[in-house]
Amino acid sequence: MKEDLEKSTPSKISSFQVFLIHVCCGLALAVGFWVAHNVYSINLISHPTSTLRLIWAIEFPVVILLFSCFRQKPEKCSYLKAIARGLLGLPVGALLNALGALALGAPAGLQYFERTVSWSLLMSSLTFVPTACVYGSCWTDWHRIFACTKPKGSLDFMLCLPAHGAVIGAWFGAWPMPLDWERPWQDWPICVSYGAMAGYVAGMVGSLGLALMHTGGGKQLKAE
Amino acid sequence: MAPLTCTKLSVITITGIVTQIFGLSLFVFGFFPVKPALPGTSGSESFFAPECDFVGNLSDTTLPSDQLKSLYQELSGIPPSFDRLILMVADALPAEFVLGKNEKPPHKQFKEAMPYTQSLLASGSAIGYHSRAAPPTVTMPRLKAMVSGAIGGFLDVAFNFNTQAMMDDNLLGQFFRIGWKMVMLGDETWLKLFPRLFKRHDAVSSFYVKDTVQVDQNVSRHLADELSKDDWNLLYFQILHYLGLDHVGHIGGRSSALMAPKLKEMDEVVKLIHSSINQSQGNRQGRTLLMIVSDHGMTEHGNHGGSTYEETDSLALFIGLRNHVFDYASVINQIDIAPTLALLFGVPIPKNNVGVLIREAFDSLKEDQHLRALELNAWQLLRLLHAQLSGLPCRNFPCDAFYDHQSSDSSECNHMTENMLCCLYMEAAALYTSWKSKRSFESTSNKDYSSTTAAYYKFLKSASEWLSRRTTDKPVNLLALGLTTLFISSVILSSLMFCRLREIYHRGNQQASNLKYSMNGWSFDETFIVSVVLILVTCMTSSSMVEEEHYTWYFLISTFYLLLLRETAQSLSSVGLQSFFPMQKGQSGEGFFRICCSFLLLISGRISRGWHQGGVNWTSLPDISKWLEQAGSPYVKPLQLMSAVLVISIGLFALFSIESRGKCLQMVRLSFLISGLLVLLHIARYQDYALSSTNYGGTFLVQIIYAILGAVTTGTIVALPWLIPLSTSKIFPADNTFSPPFSPSIQEKFPLVELRDTLYVVGWAYILCWCLLQLLLQQPINTTPILLLLLQIVAGVHYFARSGTHLKEWVEIAGFHCLGMAGHFALGNSNTLATIDVAGAFIGISNHSTFLSGILMFIITYASPMFILLSLVMYISTKSVVHLVIPEKANAGDILMMLLGFPCLVPLVLNSILLTAYTVVLLLMQNHLFVWSVFSPKYLYVCATTKPTEKEAAAHSCRSKR
Repeated sequence: MKEDLEKSTPSKISSFQVFLIHVCCGLALAVGFWVAHNVYSINLISHPTSTLRLIWAIEFPVVILLFSCFRQKPEKCSYLKAIARGLLGLPVGALLNALGALALGAPAGLQYFERTVSWSLLMSSLTFVPTACVYGSCWTDWHRIFACTKPKGSLDFMLCLPAHGAVIGAWFGAWPMPLDWERPWQDWPICVSYGAMAGYVAGMVGSLGLALMHTGGGKQLKAE
Repeated sequence: MAPLTCTKLSVITITGIVTQIFGLSLFVFGFFPVKPALPGTSGSESFFAPECDFVGNLSDTTLPSDQLKSLYQELSGIPPSFDRLILMVADALPAEFVLGKNEKPPHKQFKEAMPYTQSLLASGSAIGYHSRAAPPTVTMPRLKAMVSGAIGGFLDVAFNFNTQAMMDDNLLGQFFRIGWKMVMLGDETWLKLFPRLFKRHDAVSSFYVKDTVQVDQNVSRHLADELSKDDWNLLYFQILHYLGLDHVGHIGGRSSALMAPKLKEMDEVVKLIHSSINQSQGNRQGRTLLMIVSDHGMTEHGNHGGSTYEETDSLALFIGLRNHVFDYASVINQIDIAPTLALLFGVPIPKNNVGVLIREAFDSLKEDQHLRALELNAWQLLRLLHAQLSGLPCRNFPCDAFYDHQSSDSSECNHMTENMLCCLYMEAAALYTSWKSKRSFESTSNKDYSSTTAAYYKFLKSASEWLSRRTTDKPVNLLALGLTTLFISSVILSSLMFCRLREIYHRGNQQASNLKYSMNGWSFDETFIVSVVLILVTCMTSSSMVEEEHYTWYFLISTFYLLLLRETAQSLSSVGLQSFFPMQKGQSGEGFFRICCSFLLLISGRISRGWHQGGVNWTSLPDISKWLEQAGSPYVKPLQLMSAVLVISIGLFALFSIESRGKCLQMVRLSFLISGLLVLLHIARYQDYALSSTNYGGTFLVQIIYAILGAVTTGTIVALPWLIPLSTSKIFPADNTFSPPFSPSIQEKFPLVELRDTLYVVGWAYILCWCLLQLLLQQPINTTPILLLLLQIVAGVHYFARSGTHLKEWVEIAGFHCLGMAGHFALGNSNTLATIDVAGAFIGISNHSTFLSGILMFIITYASPMFILLSLVMYISTKSVVHLVIPEKANAGDILMMLLGFPCLVPLVLNSILLTAYTVVLLLMQNHLFVWSVFSPKYLYVCATTKPTEKEAAAHSCRSKR
């Protein structure tokens, strides 16, 4: 029975691995900010497009390389194939994110096009790419994680929570945009990006906590 | 707890509504104060210092006018500087057009349009001011403010269309009392305000907003006559009120092509009057003051009512004072005009005046006269202060005369308001006394004079500011009672809703065996709707969130659509997972259809969001409507026609899709077809603003459409339930695929099916009638948002009809409510009074009727929320309620309750919660800076929204009684 269960979720993942991945992803974000600030001396407010692109350029390889290690059915799917899946997932996810943002009222003018593109690339690598690397195009898994939000196991949590965190954070980040404070960061997509990254980090913390609880619970179960 | 029966439910609901109306009216009358005015009029007592127990001595008002005049002159010590006054009011002329903005000269095209006025300004014979008008910037309250110097209450807006005679003390009354002859040409508001004062008058109505030419010609036609009349040798007051500029603004905004010619026309009038004054100056002895004022400004789109700079920036131009050349025009308050004119013409300052003398107007007077004028103004304000502040510490000072004792304490001038005002007054009075005593020794210096004037102005300014800002004492008990009543009603309604919810949950759980998705706990959508309510309540506390409320609604409604999409995705793959389910094919088709619906919702929602850039702060950003207007009518017109055709064809298609050949149904279809064609004809031929100022054909056509629509809709609603021979045919052919297991039970419940068919037809009749009305009344640019709104409603209804039990009914209705509010803003409305479309309210009205145009204005402004409420009738008919009814027990009352319970309750509950929350916010914010400009208009909107909601609920309950 127990073996059956293990088979249904084959690639088990230890809480240490979860911790490692999350720390790496978080660090990549921080490094992105650091490089933008110290090397190029730009920030999100002064140069939103280039900063977002820079952060994405650092975050995306880290994400795709790390998550491809945890691909489903490693015997059938090589590491390179997983990376390719991630690369393919990037534009699709970016498109979905951009459409979602547009539907929610992101400015549609041409002068915002570059910003929207760089923002949606970043969002895609925070939300879409990890799952694409791990599960590929398996509709059942996507449906379980994103449509029903019923993740099973640490791996699912690791994919689901930060992605949802990023989306929900971006949603909340959009609230100050229409206010009349006349601050430069109220522009699209600055505060939305801040919100998304904050939500992403919160999601990672949650996923880590759940992973720790899960393994702890699992050990207790085993001990009993 | 005993289950609710239908009667019980409706009785409790009606109780809740009545309580709500009662509480609301209590609160409104408590909160929006009718201006507390000092009774009576100023007489000769205003030339003496305030006494301890001053009682208005009315003996002198019985004097004949010439005696009264000489009495005033003797008492005031200021000889009148002028004998004649010509007041020219150019409605809605922003001062920016004449004086420029921020010390910059006006726009070139405006400057060139008014060469004579500009030359007068440049030569210094005219002095121009930006006169700040207090909100609400609507004509009648502004006129009242100008002639009485008092700031009116906010509810004056509501009375604007119902002008009543002005009973308070005012300039015109004072002039009349000292025997002036007054003539008025122009806006009939003056006649309504001052019914018996004018010797001659020729009033024009301000109600034909589309007429920009005739309305001013009617004023100017008598002008030459009047100026050459002999009977105005002395003591003459002429009012010219030109409305054309306001009408131009309402039609085309500030940058309208008609604006420059209109300004030119105004300039010609100024030239005519001024040259005739110059002529008469030679052979007659009377001196004439010409004042050109505007009652308020206008926004970029030509509307007014709110408190933005553009709207409050009105003009005050004095021609005939001593020559001054100013580099830039200074800013005064509109109310300052009243005391200035009063003292220039030697009458007492009106009793409730809050204004301050305009300094430059008295420069030509001698020093002692100027100081005397200041003293009179100070006394008058002090009287007003006494009346409003019973505990004013300097109350007894005029009796005790502790001048010297007090004047040393000038360091205390920064205490509480009352002390400070009092102290400032003391200081000024003391300086004046010392100046007077020094002057008797011939030793006054210029410095003394200037310090005395400065002290007086300081007192006057701060007293005026305090008086005008002061929120008057509100009857706390009334407010508390009103608030409690509102709260109780909202508790009643929401507890009723929760009872219903629990009941349905209960039944749902009993039947849960065969319904996989039903009622297993608190779903995500419900959490979302509850948090929507919380978010809205929170947003109301911030003034900028109230200003930009549309963003909240757009954001929430599109989030709701995205959640619907997610819901669809969930159900989609459940089919894939459970391939053993027998009707897989049908279900996946359904899923595809629902995805299409939600994409349609998302897309049309996004387009209608981009249609109007509403609100306050971001109105200047580009949006679709601006873009189209720039592109011009060759783009707008086809788009408008296309959307109108689409709207009409969607509605007719829905009516024709019922498989029935009953005669009365055919009649309904035919008459809607005819009226649709007539509306198209009207759009194609008449709805062109430049042409239709006096178009009888157009008006007649519109009246025919009104008549047909009214007759058909009432006929359908009243007759259809009795006459309908609708067979057992299905409403939707597609419905057959929907729930085969339950179909037999529907067939058995024959009355239920019949009821649903009836509701469907009636619902579509409502929708079509409303859409046609809107196509007729809304601005051409707004036709497409109506189409988008209709698309969203239809898509939403179809989505929900197919979603079965995935979503709960109350969530769906709450979603519709959100859609209604989002649509309200997509049609270009906002929370300021300025966006109310006045021009549309006169379509098809051949003779002036306040009542009818009020109704039309309401129809235009509340187009979208009413639309949603009407379409809920159609929604009810398509929604399957079979799963909710326990077949054995179902009687007529239960079925009705099932059908109508939520559609009535949910909008009521949402509205009552928002209303109560906003009432609390308004109370908390009553001292906030924006209370009048932001929160109060919003409150009026909320109140007005309450009405249709309640009306609709009443209509529903009426149906349920049947």
